[in-house]
Amino acid sequence: MRKRGFIILIGVLSSLAVWAEARFPKPDFTSGYQYPVILHGAPNEMFWNVVDIVMLIGMMSLVVWGAYRKRSRAVIYSLSVVSVLYFGFFRSGCVCSVGSIQNVVLSLVSPDYHLPWYVLLVFLLPILFALLFGRVFCAGVCPLGALQELVNIRNFRLARSVSVALSVIPWIYLAFTILYAATRSQFLICRLDPFVGIFRLGGDMGMITFGIGLLLMSVFIGRPFCRFLCPYGALLSVFSSLSWKKLEITPRGCINCALCGMSCPVDAIRSPQSSRTGEERRKGVNRIILFAALLPLLTMAGAFLVGGQSDALSLAHKDVYLYELLLQQQARPDMEVPLEVETFNALGGNIEELKARVDEVRLDYRFYTRLAGALIGFIIGFKLLKLSLKRSRKTYEVSSAHCTMCGRCFSYCPQNINIKKHEKTIS
Amino acid sequence: MRKLYRNTAIVTAVFVLALASMLGVSYYQMQHVSPLESEVMETLKALNESNDENQKLQQQIRQLDLLSRKAYFVQEGQLKTGIYLLVGMVTVLVACLALYYKDTKNLPEKELDPIDEWMTKSHARKYLSWAAGAAALVGIAVFIFQSVGTKALTAQSDDVEDKSEMPQEGTEAVQDSLQEIALAQADSLKAASKREQSGNFSSYAEQKQARPKVKADSTIIVKIDSAKVVETDTAVVAEELPELKIASKAFRGNNSSGTSSARGIATSWNLKSKKNILWQSTVPKHGYNSPVITGHNVFITGADEQARELYCFDVWTGELKWTVKADGISGSPSSMPKVNDDTGLAASTVATNGSEVAAIFATGDVICANMDGKRLWAKNIGLPDNHYGYASSLLMFGNILIIQYQNNSDARILALNTKNGNQIWSKATKDKIAWSSPIIAKLGGKSTLVVMGNPAIAAYNPGDGAELWRVDCMSGEVGSSPASADGLVFGASEYATCIAIDGATGETLWEASDYLPECSSLAATKDFVFCATSYGMVCAYDAKTGEVKKEHDLTTPFYSSPVVVDGKVYLFSNSGKVYIFKSSTFDLITSFETGEKTFATPAFTDGMMIVRTDESLYCVKREK
Repeated sequence: MRKRGFIILIGVLSSLAVWAEARFPKPDFTSGYQYPVILHGAPNEMFWNVVDIVMLIGMMSLVVWGAYRKRSRAVIYSLSVVSVLYFGFFRSGCVCSVGSIQNVVLSLVSPDYHLPWYVLLVFLLPILFALLFGRVFCAGVCPLGALQELVNIRNFRLARSVSVALSVIPWIYLAFTILYAATRSQFLICRLDPFVGIFRLGGDMGMITFGIGLLLMSVFIGRPFCRFLCPYGALLSVFSSLSWKKLEITPRGCINCALCGMSCPVDAIRSPQSSRTGEERRKGVNRIILFAALLPLLTMAGAFLVGGQSDALSLAHKDVYLYELLLQQQARPDMEVPLEVETFNALGGNIEELKARVDEVRLDYRFYTRLAGALIGFIIGFKLLKLSLKRSRKTYEVSSAHCTMCGRCFSYCPQNINIKKHEKTIS
Repeated sequence: MRKLYRNTAIVTAVFVLALASMLGVSYYQMQHVSPLESEVMETLKALNESNDENQKLQQQIRQLDLLSRKAYFVQEGQLKTGIYLLVGMVTVLVACLALYYKDTKNLPEKELDPIDEWMTKSHARKYLSWAAGAAALVGIAVFIFQSVGTKALTAQSDDVEDKSEMPQEGTEAVQDSLQEIALAQADSLKAASKREQSGNFSSYAEQKQARPKVKADSTIIVKIDSAKVVETDTAVVAEELPELKIASKAFRGNNSSGTSSARGIATSWNLKSKKNILWQSTVPKHGYNSPVITGHNVFITGADEQARELYCFDVWTGELKWTVKADGISGSPSSMPKVNDDTGLAASTVATNGSEVAAIFATGDVICANMDGKRLWAKNIGLPDNHYGYASSLLMFGNILIIQYQNNSDARILALNTKNGNQIWSKATKDKIAWSSPIIAKLGGKSTLVVMGNPAIAAYNPGDGAELWRVDCMSGEVGSSPASADGLVFGASEYATCIAIDGATGETLWEASDYLPECSSLAATKDFVFCATSYGMVCAYDAKTGEVKKEHDLTTPFYSSPVVVDGKVYLFSNSGKVYIFKSSTFDLITSFETGEKTFATPAFTDGMMIVRTDESLYCVKREK
């Protein structure tokens, strides 16, 4: 059944032909030809926005039903196919909850930016579901995660210590996303979305190639983008760890067979563990005290170090970039005039006005780079602190923060198999 | 069947990897290709600009444009097809793998992690600490590097401001654009009422805002002939013309650098049809010196047996605003010295600092005037014992007037106060006679006076004349001037050598003798040293190695010097033929005859070029 769905997906993928808009300069007419003004009809988006929200709520509810009631991967897998087709190929991967972080940040810092209601809902609903049931959005609703899930064939697990260390990256990505959105520089997530080019069958070839590379990686490693890059996944992991309901692999008691842990592609199932280790208790306590004391220091160090790069980072803002190009052009008159500078001059740009804008942008950058640096420093400190804590477990448990609810473990659990056999017998 | 799936998956995987690599290379190439800016296209367009009547050429350009676009889109199409193919092959690969692993439980053969979770955590802690520590170290290194760089830059800027106020103590001068801004700001504070300025940014918007008030929807085209303003299709209010921000304060531009920050300079003009000619004026007296520009003013000199004069022309109209005569000077010879016709009595180019302008003549008379044409002071520094005639140009460093006074019986470098003509320092040199002109170069982070003579190229502290280094390398009659770029000093003279010297240490880096100039001076960028000879060869030396990177046999002599401006090299032949090269490649963009002999080097300002010919002075400005 799964394979059939997969083959259907391949068919759909190969039959879709979407032409990307070519960006290329118009011919140099010198005959006085006037280009006609291009008019775009106002899109009738409201209907589809409502459909998006309904689909989002409906699919997340179905994931909850499939994971908590049915304990069925088939439900989640089917939803993944629907998500890739609808949110991915049909809706072209936009607006997605991952990217909505930027809109929300921009609306918080910019009073003149109006945040559309559906973008707010796209951002908030997965968080709400995470607070109630865990990362149900990641399971089969997010088209980015779903696409990786569909191509995941065979898992070769990374050493857990490596994957834990790599899990800091999404937070760094999140910090820079906030920085660039708050300073109105660019929407980093949209720019670096590796799968949107595949969904649209067009766009930046570099990003498409990167997306294909990630997909190839996903064949053997469970959801590399979700685990090591996705900034929204990082946010959801926090809310998910505080969720009201926690996912259980089986309603019957765990028999510690370890099959679920081995089946999990994202290392979200924790094995039974004793809190007693070979290490002296005092040494462990000292370490916890040390990392707790280091936490504010690391936060400040992060703020200092990233804040120190504010001028360099501000080059991501188009005004700053243009201003620097103008300076370079003035310092090196022999260099070829960059297109941006040529355009600025042709449009009668005023350098003083530009400089005033650049000063404002740099001021913003000074604040937000410190904020971003503080966030990164705090996350690193917090992770170190968390890695110093010992916990005992008697059975295999699901880590709510990391579980993407793919549902693989359900079918591996012998207890669940027994339940199904029992139900079959009764029926 | 499983074997088939496995083998298909392997073949597909190899195919995917190969295709991905090829697409990566193709993508990289696409990113760096701009078909409409190809060398051929640029050359043809430039040719078209100089001759817009040639329909055959225009047809060629159109065809080439179409072909370039087609080629680009074909390549893009191939890339797109490749991406689709890659997506398809990845799909096949995934399908094969799925079928191969069908009915196989997803269990790893062995546990990678240590069983002890605490050990896992310990390892993770270690990795995270290392990564964070490494990132912090990189961050600190970058921070320190940036801080040091910023401090150095600030220090330079401060130095320039100080020196512009008190040059007699100073050592630094205006060398780069940043310094130019600082000096311009200091000048404007000191002489706010004066119409002088030199700055860095040429803002088209500023110019537009300050442009003459015109009737609505009319076009400003001002054409002037013989110093008369002729309005073509609009009324011009001359006094509201904007200040120009890019100055050209000495021979071959600011600091005699052979480069200019000006932009938007026309690449074609015609003195007969007046295409791109803003004005053309006659010059009262003859001279081989080159124009100098600051504010609204263009300065040149002229001399004959009867008088030696400094002229100021209006940069917008070509009108002769005032004349200052070099007369009644104590010590001035009663009869003119014997000079060669090719040199004349006014071969030296004037110099200005935006407030004062100074001129020197073959008589040894030095005069200095303010921007309103008031002679501030005049003195004779001694009749030059010079068989061709004194020809070294002046240079100003803040309020220091630098004179390379190297003649047969007396070789020295003089520094006079521009305000009153008093001597600040004088440095006797061991050099023989030379006709070269001094430059200010940025060497080892400091503005340095570089003087080329016979036999040495030497560097001095412009503040006190202290010699920093000296390289004996020249011989014969040195008429060319040095150049500098990227911390290096370049000098060349016919029958001697072309040399590159490390400006910080005075160490010789390379020498070449492929092509050597007689009168024309060098111009340099960080990549190339441009050289024009009096026997028609022009070339670009590699600035790092001295290897001739490109050469053109133009079969016409050059006395005028090349100037690097707006990504191009402008060069005039003696016959008045203009050659414009691309500065990054030294490819010839265009060439055309102007019809007037030209020995002087043009001066550049915002969108304008002032050219002195044997007969006239004219301004090239691209028509809107």
